[in-house]
Amino acid sequence: MISFAHGLVARSDLPIPEWLFGWAAAMVLVVSFVALAVLWPEPKLQREHWRPLPGGLGRALASRPVEIVYGAIGAALLVVLVYAGLRGTQSSTANLAPTFVYVIFWLAFVPASVLFGDVFKAFNPWRAIGRGVGWVAGKAARGSLPAPLAYPERLGHWPAAAGIFAFAVMELVAANGDQPQTVAIATLVYSALTFVAMALYGVETWIARGEAFSVYFNLFSRLSSVETRGGVVGLRRPLAGLADLKAGAGTVPLLAVMIGSVTFDGLSEAPVWTGVAPDIARFFGDVGLSPQNALELTFLVGLIGAILLVYGFYRLGVLGAHSVGGGFSTDRLARAFVHTLVPIALAYVAAHYFTLLLFQGQALGFLASDPLGDGSNLFGTSDSQIDYTLVGANATWYWQVGFVITGHVAGLTLAHDRALAMYDRAKLAVRSQYWMLAVMVGFTSLALWLLSQANA
Amino acid sequence: MVAAALVFAVVAFVTAWPGNDDEPQRSAATTPAETETGEDSVEPQPTTETEPPAPPKVEVARIDIRGGAVAGGPKTIEVVKGDAVRIVVTADAADEIHLHGYDISRSAAPGQPARFRFKADAEGAFEIESHVAEDAGLDALVARLVVAPS
Repeated sequence: MISFAHGLVARSDLPIPEWLFGWAAAMVLVVSFVALAVLWPEPKLQREHWRPLPGGLGRALASRPVEIVYGAIGAALLVVLVYAGLRGTQSSTANLAPTFVYVIFWLAFVPASVLFGDVFKAFNPWRAIGRGVGWVAGKAARGSLPAPLAYPERLGHWPAAAGIFAFAVMELVAANGDQPQTVAIATLVYSALTFVAMALYGVETWIARGEAFSVYFNLFSRLSSVETRGGVVGLRRPLAGLADLKAGAGTVPLLAVMIGSVTFDGLSEAPVWTGVAPDIARFFGDVGLSPQNALELTFLVGLIGAILLVYGFYRLGVLGAHSVGGGFSTDRLARAFVHTLVPIALAYVAAHYFTLLLFQGQALGFLASDPLGDGSNLFGTSDSQIDYTLVGANATWYWQVGFVITGHVAGLTLAHDRALAMYDRAKLAVRSQYWMLAVMVGFTSLALWLLSQANA
Repeated sequence: MVAAALVFAVVAFVTAWPGNDDEPQRSAATTPAETETGEDSVEPQPTTETEPPAPPKVEVARIDIRGGAVAGGPKTIEVVKGDAVRIVVTADAADEIHLHGYDISRSAAPGQPARFRFKADAEGAFEIESHVAEDAGLDALVARLVVAPS
């Protein structure tokens, strides 16, 4: 058995019991067929119904001074985390940087995006700094700054897919990925790349299309009812933001990376993986790699394998949908339905990282007071501790299964609506849906199976 | 086509069902260590209260580290929430043993085992690690503590 989860994970989940697995699986099937029978016969989500928040609230929440405050907070936190990572203690649990990046930033912004819309865009430190620098440069050059390059269409979501993959490698593969210094240096490198790209393609264009975390959190925010449009916060139908997603080159790979990396993180606790990983590592060791490099390469192989598995399974479903006719190419179909994977990706993240956020998130209590781990007590909370009895195993299981089934229903609903909008013949729409249903059932079963295998 | 999709869904579920393939792993994990007699078995929690009928069980586990490796490989210590747990780690070299989550550290030395005594009040899976192995860049896992709901 190999223990390789990063050092922040002090506690991991128990496998869901078999009886719950059985009930959940049965419920998924029943819900699927009931959904097909009762869902609306005309597309409903393709047109958004966006309305500003009442009273001047919508405008006030996104006004320029408030935006500057959000951005300044984001930029200040970026500086703090880099400083803590470089100058603080190198114990991953006693330094603010690893918990801040892997738990607060990476996990807490997911539910925040789903509930409150694209909040990361508001706090995005790179966007704030980029806009600030752009404003100053514009003043200095008296408006004669060169126009940014046009964003190449064939890049599409590829930079975001690569960025999220690199983050997953840091989190799940690199042996020292939880070291404060590694976290700080990776943050600096990523920031530098982001500033160069923003200088080339323009701040807002790169944020909207290329910056990995902006794209990632924006995908989840599309599930939300809250959307800021033209400087005004308003409400729309939940899920409608996803129907509006412009899928292009790299969008399907991006979703495959998102679902595949969580799949691998879950799989790495499963007996299937812990049984075979030492053999793979031994093979790489025999080839001449050091034990640590052999282990890292083994995990990289596992991560890539999980991503390819997710990608291949989705393409297989699309191939099936293609076979019903209708004159759409497989690429067209793959992009037309890729937004249906966003709630599935959310279900994976929520079910797998729910307890990590709940428990390790509490570490912010003492880390905020003592970010460097040098014994300081800035806010008087440096003695606070993580309460591991906050949520028990039973409650955790129900939440996890609830997330998975909710994601399944949302995915199905989106696929149903898109099929109605795409196919002019109702019969083809229905037949293509059986294939998308099979895809959803496949991903949902995999999610449940992973939950049943955690530390089994 | 409909039938094909259905068959596919069913097959997906059957293959995803746990049970057939997890038997070998179950047997690999050792269940609660044999209760033992001797210095480590402490009498159950004070029974002065009148209400609680069944005093919490006492679970005792022994782990032996020899030559930098756990004898018999890392075990899984399975207990139930509320159990009083005793873990004794003997080592043939100085070591620092850390139980994550419960965040208890004990040092061990030849002839002086690390003794953990605590009440299992938090559910979940927790790793017990050797800081000496961790600092040496080796696999640090000594055992895993699994606390199931009562």
